[in-house]
Order: sequence, then C-alpha cells, then structure tokens
Amino acid sequence: MIPAPFDYAAPATVEEALALLAEHGDEAKVLAGGQSLLPVLRMRLNAPGMVVDISRIEGLKGITDERDSIRIGAGATYQDVLDSDLVTEHLGLLRSAVKEIADPQIRHRGTVCGALVHADPAGDVGAPVLALEGRMVVQGPDGEREVPASEFFVDLFETAVGEGELLTAVVLPKHTGWGSHYEKFVRVSHQWAIIGVAATVRAEGGTIAEARVGLTNMGATPLRASEVEQALVGLPATEEAVAQVCARAGEGTDPPSDLNGQADYRRHLAGVLTRRAVLTAAGA
Amino acid sequence: MQVDRDPQRVAAVRPPRRDQWQKLTLAARRDGTVTGLKVELLADMGAYLGLVTPGVPILGAFMYNAIYKFPAYHFTCTNVFTNKTWTDAYRGAGRPEATFAIERLMDELAAELGRDPLEVREQNWITHEEFPFTSVCGLEYDSGNYEAATARAKELFGYDELRAEQARRRESGDRVQLGIGVSTFTEMCGLAPSRVLGSLDYGAGGWESASVRMLPSGKVEVVTGASAHGQGHETAWSQIVADQLGVPFEDVEVLHGDTQVSPRGLDTYGSRSLVVGGQAVVQAAQRVVEKAKPLAAHLLEANVDDLEFSSGRFRVRGAGDDQEGIGLTDLALKVFTAHDLPDGMEPTLDADATFDPENFSFPHGTHLCAMEVDTETGQSRMRSYVSVDDVGNVVNPLIVDGQIHGGLVQGIAQALWEEAVYDDQGTLVSGSFVDYTLPTSADTISFVTDRTVSPATTNDLGAKGVGEAGAIASTPAVVNAVVDAVRPMGIHDIQMPCTPERVWRAIEDSRQGGSTPTEDSAQPHFTQDAPNQDDPGPDGPAGGTAYPQEGGRA
Ligand SMILES: Cc1cc2nc3c(=O)[nH]c(=O)nc-3n(C[C@H](O)[C@H](O)[C@H](O)COP(=O)(O)OP(=O)(O)OC[C@H]3O[C@@H](n4cnc5c(N)ncnc54)[C@H](O)[C@@H]3O)c2cc1C
Repeated sequence: MIPAPFDYAAPATVEEALALLAEHGDEAKVLAGGQSLLPVLRMRLNAPGMVVDISRIEGLKGITDERDSIRIGAGATYQDVLDSDLVTEHLGLLRSAVKEIADPQIRHRGTVCGALVHADPAGDVGAPVLALEGRMVVQGPDGEREVPASEFFVDLFETAVGEGELLTAVVLPKHTGWGSHYEKFVRVSHQWAIIGVAATVRAEGGTIAEARVGLTNMGATPLRASEVEQALVGLPATEEAVAQVCARAGEGTDPPSDLNGQADYRRHLAGVLTRRAVLTAAGA
Repeated sequence: MQVDRDPQRVAAVRPPRRDQWQKLTLAARRDGTVTGLKVELLADMGAYLGLVTPGVPILGAFMYNAIYKFPAYHFTCTNVFTNKTWTDAYRGAGRPEATFAIERLMDELAAELGRDPLEVREQNWITHEEFPFTSVCGLEYDSGNYEAATARAKELFGYDELRAEQARRRESGDRVQLGIGVSTFTEMCGLAPSRVLGSLDYGAGGWESASVRMLPSGKVEVVTGASAHGQGHETAWSQIVADQLGVPFEDVEVLHGDTQVSPRGLDTYGSRSLVVGGQAVVQAAQRVVEKAKPLAAHLLEANVDDLEFSSGRFRVRGAGDDQEGIGLTDLALKVFTAHDLPDGMEPTLDADATFDPENFSFPHGTHLCAMEVDTETGQSRMRSYVSVDDVGNVVNPLIVDGQIHGGLVQGIAQALWEEAVYDDQGTLVSGSFVDYTLPTSADTISFVTDRTVSPATTNDLGAKGVGEAGAIASTPAVVNAVVDAVRPMGIHDIQMPCTPERVWRAIEDSRQGGSTPTEDSAQPHFTQDAPNQDDPGPDGPAGGTAYPQEGGRA
C-alpha cells in the first residue's frame, strides 16, 4: 500500500528532465499524471530510486494547431483534451475515446502521453491514436525522433520509448469533418475495456469514402483493422452493406481470455462492435 | 465481505459467497396447482466453521415453500467443507438461496404451462383471508396480503404495457429483447424466538434488551443491545421513545456499540432490530411511564387509577381540558432530588426490558424487473425495477427506503455482476473489486419502491423488519427477466451472474442445434414427448420440473 522510498525531482525543462534520466539510468522513472505509475509503486511492482515529475514542465503543456495536425503535449491531461476546441473540431475520435476513460478525477490527472507510454492493451487511447496514424515525438540524449504509431507499440506495456527518453508529444493528423465513435464494452462502469473499437469515417453522400478502425484489448498491443478499413471504402453507410465486412474485424486476432471473456467471445464482440462503431461514426 | 490489507495487493477481497448446488423437484397438476416440492442441497461451507456456517442452509429450509400452499415438502441438505473462503450469514442467510430457487422455479412452471407467471403464483399463494396460515414447514405466517402488493406493483410497473412491448419485440425479431422477471417473495425474519432457535441447535437465544433512563435534565438516554452499524437505529429508536414518552425527538440519545455501555444484547442481523430490539425499547419506555405514575398521582393529589398519560403529561381523567397536569420531564427532576416522593418509592424512573417474541415476522413483497437483453453481445441492461414491499408498519420511511435500495443493489449485483471465482486449485482469482465486478451507483437505475401495510402481530409496533428484503427478493426477479428475454430461443436457464458472455453463449448454443434439455438444465414435463405426461387427475402430480443449478455464487 505504501511505495518504497524514492527521491523526487520536478524539473522545469525537458533538458533538465533528460539530464536527470541520464544521471539515474534504470533507477529513474518518469511521472506524468501518476494514474498508472502510482498504483504500480503502491503495489510495489516497481521501486525506482528517482521519480522525475514532468508535470511542471511548461513546454510540454498544451494542445496546439500545427496546420494539418494537432500536437498534444506530454503535459496535456485527458480533461485538457476534452476541453480543447481543436480536438473537438479535428479529432473527434480521440475525444470520444477519452470521454470513456475512468472517472473525472482520473481524467483530470492522467495524460494521453503517459497512457501511451504505459501501453496497457486495455487502455483506451492506443487504438484511436493508431487508427488516426499519430506520430510520436520521442526525445532523448541524442535529440528528437518521430515514431509512427504503427511502430510505437511493441508489446504488452512496451513501446519504442527507450531508457532515458521522453515522449514529449503525440502529433495527430486532423480528421476534420470525419464522423467518429468509440465503442467501449464493459460490464460495470469503472471497468477497463473488455474490448473497445475506435472508428472514424469520412462519408460522402451516404457512402463511406474513408474509414479508420482501431481495436482495444484484442491483443498485446492496440490493433488496426486495416482490411476492414479498406473493404469499407465505397460501401453505403448502411447496416446491410457493412455488416459482413465489419463482422470480420476480429479475424486473426489473439485477444486474452480472462474473467470477462474468452478469446472467441472477444473476437465475436469485435465484429459486432465494429459494425456499430462504424455506423454510428458514419451517422447512420 | 472482508477486505484485508495485503502488501502484495491493493485489496485482497474475500467476497461473500452463497455457494450451493440446488436440486429442486416441483410437482404440479396440469392446471397449475402445486402439489409438492423436494429440495436437495449440496452446500459449500468453505474452509472453516463460522458462527452460523451450517445454519445458513438450515434457515433457508423453511423458505423454499415461500408464499405457496405446498401440501407436501421434503428437504435434505449436505454441507461440505472445502478450501474456499469460509461462509457465514450474509444479508438474508439461506433465504436468498431459497427464494432464488423457488421464484425461478415458479417462472419455469408458468413457462411450461404457457401461462403468466403472476397468475400461476396467485393460483398457489396464500390468500389474504387465509392468514394466519401455517406453512408446510410449520411456520405460522401471521399477516400478509400478496394480492395487494402484486396489484400495486403491476400498476407501478405498467405490467400489461411491458408484456405488449415484449410481444412486439419478439414478433419483429428485435435485436434487443425485453424480459420481465417476477419475484413474489416472503421471508422469516425478526430473528428471535429463542425456543425455536434452541430447537435448531442455535448457540444463542434471540431476545433483545433495552434500557430507558430519565435524566434530571429531562432528556432521555436509551441503551440498546441491537447495535447499529449504519442502519439508523439511533434515529428510529429516538422516534419510538419520543412517541412513547412525549419528549422532543432531539432530547433522546441512543447509546450502543460498547459492551461497557451496553452489556446485554444479541445485535443487529436477521432483520430483527426494530422487531425485537425496537419492541424492547417500547416496553422499557412503557415501564418508565408506569413507574412515574405513582409520583404523578402523589403530586397531583389524585388516584393512580384516575390518571391518563398522553403527549408526555399525566392528567386526571375527566378533570377538564385546561388542567396542566404534570410532565414526565418534571417528574424526572423530582425523582432526582427525591425531596417529595411517595412513601417507599425508589428514587428512579429508569427501566429495563428484554423482549423475546413468540414468532418470527414475515415481510413479503412483489418485485418486478424489466431487462433489455442485447442478443448480439449478451449484454443485459435494466430497464425498470419496481418493488412493493410489505414490511408492516413503518417507523421511518427514509430508512426503510434506504434499506430496500441497498438490498436491491446487493441482490441485483449477485444476479448480474458479482462472483467469487476460484480456479481448480481453490485459489480465488477474482481477488480485487474490479475482478469481482463490484457495481457502483453508475451501474444501477432509479428504482420505484412502494409499500403495502399488513402489520405484524408479534410486536406493538406492527413492524416486520426490512434489512434483508431487497437482497432476498431481487436476485430471482433479475435472473427471471434475463431468462424471459431469451426464452423464445429455447433457453430456460442462465447461470448467475448473467454475464454478457454467459448470455451470449446460451444464445449461441441454442442457435447451434437448440438447447436440448440435459440433466443440468430444466426439464420440461408437460410437452408431448416428455415422460410423466399422463395427468393422474386431482389425486396425484402430473409431473414436475427438475431444476438443478448452482445457486448464487456471489
Ligand atoms: C482507477 C483507474 C481507472 C482507470 N481506468 C482507465 C480506463 O478506463 N481506460 C484507460 O485507458 N485508462 C484507465 N486508467 C489508466 C489511466 O488512464 C492511464 O494509465 C494513466 O492516465 C496514464 O497517464 P499518466 O499521465 O497518469 O501516467 P503515469 O502514471 O504518470 O505514467 C505511466 C507510465 O508512463 C511513463 N511515462 C509517463 N509519461 C511519460 C512520458 N511523457 N515519457 C516517457 N514516459 C512516460 C511513466 O514512467 C510510467 O511508466 C485508469 C487508472 C486508474 C487509476
């Protein structure tokens, strides 16, 4: 219940943070909103010697317009995302997924970037970021690099962010005018997603012109249902037209089996919920 | 439920369990009249012998026949110790298990006969003219009116309209099917009669004690042995004493919870506090008045027999409305100073009482639940829930509603969410509140609650007890509703909690070749090709419904 003792630093700049991470090596752990890290420390699943709190770094805060993309800084909380007009206008899918995360207290502390680095397969932001083809801005001792979302998620709780590095932002291409829906399947409201489907669709006169579909908790990492996306293009946004295509969303996936559902049930749900998410996104 | 501090886990939950294999055989005539009930239980006690561990199924033994006039009844129970968490009395203790089984079974009987489940119940229940009624188990149900509670519940629920909507959804093959679940429960509570408890080898009696002390300040101290842990006895007991003694509600202080203050008592459980402990308070208060009477007569220079007591004052009967009389609180000070007491009077008004009723009390109610079941995902959503409870006279309506609401959530949670899951080594694998799927207010709907009143005859308050009602009644109402929603698909049972996956698998199984009844599921007997189809007429049962299932692994 009580974390092991650790040192704490709250640097004011990214440079200072990186210097601290370099100095303390694998003894260091980044703290953003703490909504995953603190439970980990309290359960003593991890006992870092130095916790580097990046939440005071002004330069990481904010959600900014970068012409054809929106930049979400590592300091931006879920609530910042929900409050952002830029997100509402251009990234409806991210907004609808973030709305479903935990409760207001957690949304006021937890950050999008923290959740992405934590990379819990049941977390709700991975699938939309993947489907929206986000670019992850990773900064380390050797400078800054951009990692496409498709290469970011490596395995269970494992990402492309290495020791001594920070995820400073995620940059998401604008999807202005796209309809979006995140379908989160839970038994009780405070639960993590048993599965989730993130769908965003650009419809033209009742026909699907483009579609993006991401899946939550259908494997060790968030997944993208690329074949479904492609097969949807050109179809009328009606149940009859899309049902068969969407039913295949779970094919070939290897979801977990646990108290909330066996793998075959999750694959079945993926098909049903993809159809619902796509149709809702398309405004059908 | 216990929550341990465990450095390895945020919370190691030892969830409450009601773990039984129940095999019930119900005999009925083709016209729907029940003729017999056989109950065979295999009950999992867990690893240790707790206070009433084996007593839980025994208490249930009296309740399988419920509100119905079974002429014949047979009960056997085998209790086994296992390496799971030990069991003990938990809200309802044996009665939820019994109520679940019989109320599920009455729905199955109705379904098999193609009749409305409320109608089949009504055909078999004790009518209000038949009270007091001695049940097949030998319990004397003192009061009740199942017709009134059911009529009110149907009205509040919009029963006929919902049945019509259900028919429409079935007709159109709607993806979301509507199910309506019924539970017309009763329970034996006000757990007391010491003689009865003795005959069951219970280790203690069932009386409850109270003391009422008149302080010189005019305020009143009440000591109760029924110690509240959130049930609001402080409020209700203050109301009772204010009523009895005519003192302001605010001037009553209720003391409990520490054996240094309240050494005698058997506590709060079995929906007994008001029925037994509350009556002890009534009697102690009445004794205070009796003790004060000679002093009042002395000071008013009147005859004791000519005095009447109301609204906290003694007055001389027939001496006119404008007489001042003397107040009980004034007498309290006079007793304290003891300057002018009648000869031989002991200088105290304080009184004790211990009450041991001769019978249990029998709350009942009609609960109706509508569930929408998404047949694609198996997800169930509660649409409406109506409970009309008859808990006798009510001292504090808000407390009663609170008990009903909390009980409902507990029982509904058992039907839909909560489950203590063990692996085949007996290790608890649902060891956190997330895995145990504890619901919160966000998962429930607004319940419609109402009451009918058939006062209990075993205490002056006419109260029957309410602590367990909601938890006992609601579980079968919800499971009945889920099963009712998917019944046209050939499904007649779903193991609770009715998780989306279980509902979905039941639907899948029935789609792939239908769910042929096996030994593990309900067996219809009134169909053409089933055994026991010959109706032997009014002298014997036409058949039965075997309904083995694992009851309430909460
Ligand atoms: C009760 C509860 C319920 C929850 N329910 C949900 C839910 O329904 N859906 C959901 O998706 N999530 C849920 N969460 C988890 C939560 O959304 C995220 O895990 C959390 O917000 C992560 O963000 P954070 O800022 O709090 O990260 P932190 O907890 O501070 O950090 C998480 C991890 O990422 C690392 N890290 C953080 N930021 C950076 C960075 N910029 N660069 C490098 N490393 C970094 C940390 O070192 C740590 O390892 C829940 C959490 C709780 C406590």
